[in-house]
Amino acid sequence: MAAPCGSRCPVLELLGDHTFRTVCLGTGLIGATSGALGCFSYLRRQALIGDVVSHASLLGIVGAFAISALIAGTGTKAIVVLIPGALVAGVLALLLTRAITSRTRVKEDAALGVMLAVFFGTGILLLRVVQRSPRISGHAGLEDYVFGLAAALTQGDLLLIAVLGALAIATMILLWGALKLHTFDSAFAHSMGFDATRVDTILAVLQVTSIVIGIHAVGVVLMIALLVTPASAARQWTRSLRGMVILSAIFGAVSGAGGSLLSALYARAPTGPMIVLVATAIFIVSILFAPDRGILARYRSRKRRRRAVLGAGGA
Amino acid sequence: MTRASAPPALRIDGLTVAYESDPVLWDIDLELPAGCIMGVVGPNGAGKSTLLLSTLGLLPPLAGRVEVFGQPLERVRHRVAYVPQRRSVDWDFPATVMDVVLMGTYGRLGWFRRPGKTQRAEAMAALELVEMVEQADSQISELSGGQQQRIFLARAFVQHADLLMMDEPFAGVDAKTERAIVRLLHGLRDEGKTLLVVHHDLATVPEYFDQVALLNRKIVACGPVGRTFTDAHVERTYGGSVRVPVPRA
Repeated sequence: MAAPCGSRCPVLELLGDHTFRTVCLGTGLIGATSGALGCFSYLRRQALIGDVVSHASLLGIVGAFAISALIAGTGTKAIVVLIPGALVAGVLALLLTRAITSRTRVKEDAALGVMLAVFFGTGILLLRVVQRSPRISGHAGLEDYVFGLAAALTQGDLLLIAVLGALAIATMILLWGALKLHTFDSAFAHSMGFDATRVDTILAVLQVTSIVIGIHAVGVVLMIALLVTPASAARQWTRSLRGMVILSAIFGAVSGAGGSLLSALYARAPTGPMIVLVATAIFIVSILFAPDRGILARYRSRKRRRRAVLGAGGA
Repeated sequence: MTRASAPPALRIDGLTVAYESDPVLWDIDLELPAGCIMGVVGPNGAGKSTLLLSTLGLLPPLAGRVEVFGQPLERVRHRVAYVPQRRSVDWDFPATVMDVVLMGTYGRLGWFRRPGKTQRAEAMAALELVEMVEQADSQISELSGGQQQRIFLARAFVQHADLLMMDEPFAGVDAKTERAIVRLLHGLRDEGKTLLVVHHDLATVPEYFDQVALLNRKIVACGPVGRTFTDAHVERTYGGSVRVPVPRA
């Protein structure tokens, strides 16, 4: 496939490459999942909790690796071992943040900051300990979870991402009414029998899942970009929750796949930052040019209104 | 006493609620006969909203019991509609007026079913009642305060509930809308529904309500307006400086 194109068409050459297709598909799926579920975080003004969860998952990743090393002698980086670790740490960080906000008088932004720092700091520390320990082998590549390395995605990773992502999206579609109602008006939803704690927990599990499947490719530091940026961009263009979620999933998929393409093309730059660049480009176009909500549209309608008012007064 | 006939629409026994350590509501007893409209009044921080929230099970009480139509709330949830404060939600949510009114049907539909033609027709009928049919496809972010309150009412109407609990339905709406809403509420009462309304304007209490509960962390007095809404009770509720206002001419 790649032969007739030669080195003059790097994009086509890449698309013919099996490894690259795996990577592109993987990051696209990750982007679509977190883009869709990120809408609920955005609308509930809980975007930053996602950042805490993704930073916290590093501790879970390294912790799961260290435990496997202690048990088996040599550590495993199999995603089926690391992802449960990330899930546990992510959920723990989420619950702790909630507990601090609801049980103490610490404000939410401060609680988020504290939890993010504690979990990420401990994660980095444990990573160093594992890397320096002469008794633990097989830790090479563990550091890729910090900034992400989509090139490291294997067929097995892709399968797991696809299965977990599909499960999360299917659950979202199945419980659509309850999730929508709870996001708009949780007290009203509760009064009709959609228990607020239960729906909250379901949403949290879905969001943690969408984060955890992405951290290897995107990195814990920048995963927040796929959770928040596509949703913020999609909100600009849409007038219904359904439209927002679909568009945000598309924006997320384009950011993920486009970011890995760019990172493969240009000097093997880390994937995370490239994905962020694509997502941000979509975001900037959206806040500038979206009809109704875009900056330009609002500027124009303000000018029109002013002219109408002044015209009426002058005539 | 009408104990022999139908049970009261709402009966609260010894309800005590605390957020942290200080009780917000203390030993509340309240009985709301079916087919009445009751106003709940009291100063800021008296626990009026908390009373609604804990009655609906949104805030677990420390002690006490709530019965709706003689049964525990869980058994009769579908007979109760809650209208939260308009300001409690973010109106910059991507949804149309129709979307929000349809939400009132979700309780009957349950976790998995979606609203269909029947539900849309019901929502349209409710929008007609609140005179918002023309705005059915408008974005909710474009509505005025009065219009927001109207669609919250429409959302409660499609629940076909027998007991409606409303938190300050007149807050921030203009006089015309307020009169329209009062007419709707009285219409519901005349159909045999029961209404519990958190309210803050003492001057309109005798005109709007048949029953009143004066609340300041405890129930100061509760019963028919004529007998209950007295200078002495209002003074005890608001701390001396407030009396029953002279009705506006």
